[in-house]
Amino acid sequence: MNSRHINIFSRRPDFGAIVGVVLLFVVFSLVDFSNWWSGRTLGNILQFTAILGCIAMGQALVIMSKEIDLSVGSVYGLTGIAYVTLEADLGVPGAMLAALAIAGGIGFLQAMAVIKGKIPSMIVTLGGLFAVRGLIYVWTGGSAPTMPRDSRAHWLNQLLGGELLGIDAAIFWTALLLILLTLVVWRTKFGNRLLATGGDESSALSRGIRTDRIKTMAFVLCSLLAGIAAILTLADNPQTHVTLGDLMELEAIAAAVIGGCLLSGGRGSLIGAVLGAFIITGVRYELISLGAPASWYITFVGIVVIAALIFNQFLARWASNQA
Amino acid sequence: MSATSNNSHPLIEVRNLDLHFGAFHALKNVSVSFDSGQLIGLVGDNGAGKTTLIKVLSGIHKPNSGEVYFDGERVKEFHPKQAIRFGIETLQQSVGLCDNLSIARNFYLGREPIKHWFGIPFLDFKKMREASTKVIRTFGLRDNVSADDQVEMLSGGERQSIKIGRAVEFKNRVVIMDEPTNHLSVREREHVNELAQQLRDQGLLVIYITHDIHQVHKLADRIVIMENGEKVTDVAKHEMTSDELEEVIRFGGRDVEKEEVTV
Repeated sequence: MNSRHINIFSRRPDFGAIVGVVLLFVVFSLVDFSNWWSGRTLGNILQFTAILGCIAMGQALVIMSKEIDLSVGSVYGLTGIAYVTLEADLGVPGAMLAALAIAGGIGFLQAMAVIKGKIPSMIVTLGGLFAVRGLIYVWTGGSAPTMPRDSRAHWLNQLLGGELLGIDAAIFWTALLLILLTLVVWRTKFGNRLLATGGDESSALSRGIRTDRIKTMAFVLCSLLAGIAAILTLADNPQTHVTLGDLMELEAIAAAVIGGCLLSGGRGSLIGAVLGAFIITGVRYELISLGAPASWYITFVGIVVIAALIFNQFLARWASNQA
Repeated sequence: MSATSNNSHPLIEVRNLDLHFGAFHALKNVSVSFDSGQLIGLVGDNGAGKTTLIKVLSGIHKPNSGEVYFDGERVKEFHPKQAIRFGIETLQQSVGLCDNLSIARNFYLGREPIKHWFGIPFLDFKKMREASTKVIRTFGLRDNVSADDQVEMLSGGERQSIKIGRAVEFKNRVVIMDEPTNHLSVREREHVNELAQQLRDQGLLVIYITHDIHQVHKLADRIVIMENGEKVTDVAKHEMTSDELEEVIRFGGRDVEKEEVTV
């Protein structure tokens, strides 16, 4: 690697998250060597990372288009409930499709409110957060539906929720989605237009880009990814509760932001979002295993987000001074 | 499209255009026509309606009433995409390039070339780089600028050069330049003005919008002056000196208005 390569690498939006993950490994190895490197610890962290990372990728797409989606936690919950509940009538594949259709539909409705109604996405999806959570209460009546043993054994649930080659399936699927979506963002027409729409909407419009369609796609993809994350979770352990996905939206936004997505749009990284999810999950797991009270965890996530942003800016300034 | 073009009708014709923004009457019964191979100076003070007029032509605003014809064909849909399809390229000072993307990506924004790879349509970066590198070299950008550099690294003049280069590369028929030399250094300004004349010489219609009547009088074949949403003057360059035109702008068009017959 010559200096130009190092330069380009250090200017990546996810550079901070990459450095952060390395630091996390160093610190946690020093603090808690025996536990951190055990297969169980890393395996658990990676599985949670896969679920949160899947949602964070969707969030990253929406943030790249200069919008935000606060509803993903509720959409995650509703998709999960729908999947488990509808299975009795529709069977596993049918329930899966129906649950994803519900997720995509919510994304589409919210996009329409943002685009046709010209309401800021922060407000629309805040409404979505409450409305969809309310639907969960109405649908379940406060109960916690679960899937019968026979259905758990269905091959689709095994494929999405079991283990593939000794790795939790969720990790495998999120990795696959990460590769696919990274190609879509950086190597396709849609990706080019998504980045342009988020970076400078009036310029994108002046080039004839239908920015409303691009944003709609981003919202639908985001809700679908939250839905996929729910199915990956419940295929593994089909136990629901009414608070399923509570606060996940904030964790997903935090992961995307730690991963280098700028809320000003047009810049970001899906790998960064997944690394951000790893940092959040890793900190949580390690805090708990070190015996910190679980109630401190949320405070800590907040501190990590702020520290990560300061760190990102510091790195960005450092990188631009190297030029 | 060019097969249908002949000299019996102007390239762009605007008839009785009216546009309101709430209580503000931005365009009042404007009729004007433009031919290929001309460089038109569109002049007027702030709020005169010149930028509003070109925003109608570039599909950003839809008029409340009146008609627009392009190459004899009535324009029905007002959307930037439609204007681009007609071959109308609008260069605005602050719009047209996304800072967060590379020159190559910006160059083809909205009409990205595609290369199929296992049947999947991917961006053809090779083509995007080649075309934009050619423009970088022909249009006098710094030697160390590459197609992969982000647009935010470019100077104002370099940005304009990229936009003009893009207009040429995509075989446009109309190039509308909205205050193209604002915030540019003297040398960059001359460069952009030369490019405008080159486009005209290649047979394109160039509509050049500015405050500076003296500057555009040197370049233009025809001068159109707008005031308070109306067209007040429409003359060939040799009919009036730039000083006379400046008087028109300063004291209002009514007194010296040349009666122009527009259909």
